[in-house]
Amino acid sequence: MKVLLLILLCIISMFLGVFLGPAGIIDFEDPVMRSLALDYRLPRTILAMLVGAALASSGCAMQAFFRNPLADPYILGVSSAASAGAAIAISIGFAATSNIILAAFVSSLLTSFAVYRLGKRGESYAILLAGIAVASFLSGLTAIVIYFSQESVHEILFWTMGSFSKASWQKVTIILFPFILGTFYLIINTWNLNAVLLGDEHAKSLGLDIEKFRRELIAVVSLLTSASVAVCGVIGFVGIIVPHTMRLIFGESHQKLLPAAIIFGMTIMPFVDLLSRISTSGEIPVGAMTAMIGAPFFIYVLRRGL
Amino acid sequence: MKLEVQNVKVSLKSREILKDVTLKLENGEILAVLGPNGSGKSTLLRTIFGILKPMEGVVLYDGKSMDLDEIAKIAAYLPQEVPETKLRVIDVVLLGRTPHLSGIKKATRKDLYIALKALKAVNLENFAERVFNELSGGEKQKVMLARLFAQEPKIMLLDEPTAHLDLSAQIEIMRLVKSKVVEGSSAIVALHDINLAATFADKIVMLKNGVIHYEGRADEVLTPESIREIYGIDSIVKKIGKYVFVTPKVISSKNGKHVHVICGGGSGTAIIQSLVEAGYRVSAGVLNVLDSDWETAVDLGCEVICEAPFSEISEENHNKNLKLVEEANAVVLTNLNLGKGNLKNLFAAKRASELKKLVVIEKDPFKYRNFAGKVAEEVYESITKSSVVVKNEGDAIEAVRILVNG
Repeated sequence: MKVLLLILLCIISMFLGVFLGPAGIIDFEDPVMRSLALDYRLPRTILAMLVGAALASSGCAMQAFFRNPLADPYILGVSSAASAGAAIAISIGFAATSNIILAAFVSSLLTSFAVYRLGKRGESYAILLAGIAVASFLSGLTAIVIYFSQESVHEILFWTMGSFSKASWQKVTIILFPFILGTFYLIINTWNLNAVLLGDEHAKSLGLDIEKFRRELIAVVSLLTSASVAVCGVIGFVGIIVPHTMRLIFGESHQKLLPAAIIFGMTIMPFVDLLSRISTSGEIPVGAMTAMIGAPFFIYVLRRGL
Repeated sequence: MKLEVQNVKVSLKSREILKDVTLKLENGEILAVLGPNGSGKSTLLRTIFGILKPMEGVVLYDGKSMDLDEIAKIAAYLPQEVPETKLRVIDVVLLGRTPHLSGIKKATRKDLYIALKALKAVNLENFAERVFNELSGGEKQKVMLARLFAQEPKIMLLDEPTAHLDLSAQIEIMRLVKSKVVEGSSAIVALHDINLAATFADKIVMLKNGVIHYEGRADEVLTPESIREIYGIDSIVKKIGKYVFVTPKVISSKNGKHVHVICGGGSGTAIIQSLVEAGYRVSAGVLNVLDSDWETAVDLGCEVICEAPFSEISEENHNKNLKLVEEANAVVLTNLNLGKGNLKNLFAAKRASELKKLVVIEKDPFKYRNFAGKVAEEVYESITKSSVVVKNEGDAIEAVRILVNG
């Protein structure tokens, strides 16, 4: 019942994303409006859905990995890596959109593996610390690049604020493969995610090769978050709030939690994007919007008790 | 299923944790592993389960060496720390089925049935939907035991399953393990509680610094000597039938003062214990062997002058008694019954009163306790005139303290 409702909400959100916008309700009789819906709003909505699901599912995975509900998909340093990669690409003249996306994606992927390698010798919090160190280094690097290349500030900022405004079918195809691979991996491994919640020693006592699973988990989350960041920049809070809310409704077990988080991520992201498009005459970056809505909601959820 | 651990050596971070450990476990046996913190108990269990690979030696299940994933199908290991999770109880128990699942892991109807049966076995059949973190310590550990049972192990490896639990939960956990073993498996349990081990284990190994120092049945292995060697403490070991009880001795810092107690028939038990606990070196005499005061004094490691059961005090023992009276910083005469057999004890007390170091505990008037005639009555009267007379052990301890410290 709760699942059906969730799916229904998801479909509604998708339709709203396509039919509503600053230009008003779509009239499919009008060829201009139709083209607006199919070439602009539809890819934008789908991109938002995929990114929402990717962030929610990797948030889920990271929270299991660290056994901490505050773990975030960007914990591996991906957020600052993407903007650093993009900034460097722009500043050295690789300004074509696909080049910038590629640079952001590659630098995110490399960074998350670097963070994992730096931190893996110690306990799981060593990865956290390594992530913080690498992220602040990369933020510094980005700031320096921005300082020396003032014209492209706006373009670089795109990655740090997060936005679907440059959505296109091309971006959808970029994220589609990592998305399918990553979420498929997580969905078939919900059992092991539950085992991880008991702690490493207990997971080993179930005969699991927990180190291998952790490596795979990091690889999958890097792929999902790097792809997301590369197509739309950093969108905070979704990776924490979505799993958290679903946990309150469906409980801790990943067999229900993970699919629910994926669907709810798909629901909430296009909806928030819609709000960011229509709430003002301009367009608020969606990352700012998620923070504005997410933070109060998060506090409400926390105070309701968990 | 037979388990053999042969000459196993394990090192962690280039420190040798297990040095040449060999043991065997037959079907239907509970083996308790005792040893202080850091003796290698957990390492031994983890090595048997295949989490750690030995540098030398082998672990054999029915003669075969196996890997972790294969071992998990026939053995189950319960780590020491209790997990913290908001998973439902049934989700936790179902995880016990992990080694038996293949491909995309998903619980079947059969797995659910086995998990619910395991919950029932630990008397928590109504707890399936509860959140694990909201249970009490004892309930959590029982859920973990159900998780273990759901794994349908032939051999259970439990690392301090009773740690942090109250007494009834400790007993219940061990009973559940025992009942599972009776159904046709075996168990190795690392324990801190010697008495729990003595009660539930068929065999005990005592481990220290990665070496097995003792191995055998509880009544063979548990002695004051072995406990001193393994734990470095003095203890009292009593054997009643097949049961063995171990009590550590409560000894505060010795204060170097010597108190001699003249007692008998149970009248000295309380004061001897109090004096020992207060840090005095206590001696007692003359006591008949098997007298309850004799047992107490011997158990507490006091010097005791003893006479054969039901025999009159010999001249030789009386002289020994007088010697202790003279050596002691204080002497206590307890509320003992006096007959012909132990009349000489009264004369020893008289000597103490002459030396001005006697404390007399008089709970009942002497005439009710005197079966040795007029002479004894007169001697007792003269004693009480030149000594401190108190009504109970508490006052006696205080009087001794004042006497000893001048």
